[in-house]
Amino acid sequence: MTNKPILEIKNLCAGVAGKEIIKNFNLSINEGEVHAIMGPNGAGKSTLSHVLTGKPGYDVRAGQVVFNGKNLLDLSVEDRANEGLFLIMQYPVEISGVPFMSFLKHALNAKRKYLGDKELDAPAFMKLVREEAQKLGINSDMLKRAVNVGFSGGEKKRMETLQMALLRPSLAILDEADSGLDIDALKVVSQGINDLNDGKRALLLITHHQDLLEYIKPDFVHVFADGHIIKTGDKNLALELEAKGYADFIKEAQC
Amino acid sequence: MLKILLDHMPLEDDIPALAALHQKGRLAFKALPDKKTEAYKYTDIQGALTVAMLERAKKTCIHADDGMCHCHAHEKSLPFEAYEFHFCNGCLHKHFHFIEGVEVMSLRDAVKEHEASRYINKFDLENYAFAALNTAYADEGLFIKISQNIDRPIVLFYHHDTNLMSHIRNIIVLEKGAKAEVVEIYQGDEAAYFHNIVNEIFISKDALLRHYKLQNEGKSAVHVALSNVQVKEGGVYESFCLQKGANAARNETHVFLKEQNARALVNAAYFGTKKQLIDTTTDIEHLSPLTNSNQIVRGVVSDKAHGVFQGKIHIFPHAVQTEGYQIHKALMLSDDALLDVKPALEIFADDVKCSHGSTCGDLNEDELFYLRSRGIAEDEARQILIKAFLCAAFDDIENQDIKNLFDALK
Ligand SMILES: Nc1ncnc2c1ncn2[C@@H]1O[C@H](COP(=O)(O)OP(=O)(O)O)[C@@H](O)[C@H]1O
Ligand SMILES: [Mg+2]
Repeated sequence: MTNKPILEIKNLCAGVAGKEIIKNFNLSINEGEVHAIMGPNGAGKSTLSHVLTGKPGYDVRAGQVVFNGKNLLDLSVEDRANEGLFLIMQYPVEISGVPFMSFLKHALNAKRKYLGDKELDAPAFMKLVREEAQKLGINSDMLKRAVNVGFSGGEKKRMETLQMALLRPSLAILDEADSGLDIDALKVVSQGINDLNDGKRALLLITHHQDLLEYIKPDFVHVFADGHIIKTGDKNLALELEAKGYADFIKEAQC
Repeated sequence: MLKILLDHMPLEDDIPALAALHQKGRLAFKALPDKKTEAYKYTDIQGALTVAMLERAKKTCIHADDGMCHCHAHEKSLPFEAYEFHFCNGCLHKHFHFIEGVEVMSLRDAVKEHEASRYINKFDLENYAFAALNTAYADEGLFIKISQNIDRPIVLFYHHDTNLMSHIRNIIVLEKGAKAEVVEIYQGDEAAYFHNIVNEIFISKDALLRHYKLQNEGKSAVHVALSNVQVKEGGVYESFCLQKGANAARNETHVFLKEQNARALVNAAYFGTKKQLIDTTTDIEHLSPLTNSNQIVRGVVSDKAHGVFQGKIHIFPHAVQTEGYQIHKALMLSDDALLDVKPALEIFADDVKCSHGSTCGDLNEDELFYLRSRGIAEDEARQILIKAFLCAAFDDIENQDIKNLFDALK
């Protein structure tokens, strides 16, 4: 494994609606690594993912985030994405009236434009999407619908994974990517995520239980509580957490 | 303004029937509506008119030195097969198509024909100042009588590039069981012109007219249009109008559902930017039992634009088992934008189903974030969401070619 850093978060303090949620948070992620952040509900995991992707409404009070050598917090939401950040959202929003395929074309071409590449022509685009969709068990009928409209939780996550596969981010953050998935969907989605990891990218899995970690093996497991990481270990830490429960584990760690 | 309009009214014409029509208009036209006129309370068309627009009414086609209209140079050609008719600066380009099952003539010819003339001026001008004005001036327009199913859309193009006023009068008749699509496309350049159109539409028993309109007039133009539609037993009027052009515009649709099972779908969308004033006014009159109407209207106002929606459903006594629905939704994208909405239900019969509703909001922040988080620039993301919002008013257009006309918003 190389040591080229992709993401470095230093002393990040951030919150929403006047409430401080991320407190003195530190984390470094290198190329090829898979990190998992685990923590109880309400700990601030989604907040972290939103602060990183630049969702409006969140205030960063202090700290620094370097992403692929750039100061992430200075970039607009879209530039962060085009620089290679991708968030699989916990609750992907439904956007009626926007056909999924046209949305996807906008997104792919936005990235190509940002990187100075030519826009994809229609046949090349269709071919690319069909191939990736097939791997994820997404049929052409699903592709014809509006963005996320009327999809089950599992279907939404498949569609998110499809976008990720096509946009090929250097860092994918998966916020509870396993929630609402049955075993089959979990396998397919995990496969899609594992396929992406070619050693040049990195994954940040956010989850509150360890099911997903059976399918996507983390190199590091971080326990998130009270706004920051209180303990880091390998994948066995996830099992330990699961066995003890968050409350006891956090109590012990804080003593 | 009023004096200029009155002074320029044509007093005679080679065609006596046309002179007679003008006289009816002159007698009915009293004044331009102002804020005290209930129907124009929110819509100050008069204030948008300028002397430059009114001084010259079209007499002959200004491009017609060699007897030909050269306005094709301005026209974007349609990406689909259609029967096209062109008006340039209010002048009809007289190269008519032969269309199987359709009779086409100019207004000037139609007034002379006994059969055609009985369809002209078949409503009460007293209630419509601009239609009265149109009647006092109109010497151009199309009479289109359709007697069977038409295989392609009929497309009427209107193009302006000169400061003047045009009063166009069209008559569209669908005979029993006929079926047609009529598309109107309005466009213009920087010129300051006043375009005042009246369409008189007659839908016979079991006939179906799909009437689409893209109002994309030049940015200094004033556009006023009235479609007066009469629908007989089992007849259907389906319409959609997108307004996004002109400095000040009003599109008014007045539908009379006169017999049983007559049905109307009167959808509209508007997209106002800068200081545009865009008015959508509808009035659906249910005159008979078992009639049905539906209206889906979507609007967007940004910058200092002013949107107006006035929608009336009027159910007459005896018009039982009637359904009338109306829903208006708008986005207000700036604090300086203005929206006036006046829905009205006037129900004088029992056993009817009616509803109306209106909402107003901003773009959804979560949707915007989602698109941007996929790399789509904020401006582009906003455009995508605006288009998606407006699309609800025309999503059901079956003819994909026509739907695409409205899809290309910019
Ligand atoms: N928009 C918001 N306004 C106020 N409080 C919020 C908002 N979003 C999240 N919070 C609060 O921040 C805390 C962390 O939430 P979240 O990041 O969603 O936790 P997790 O993803 O770990 O379950 C919770 O107490 C939640 O109620
Ligand atoms: Mg969460």
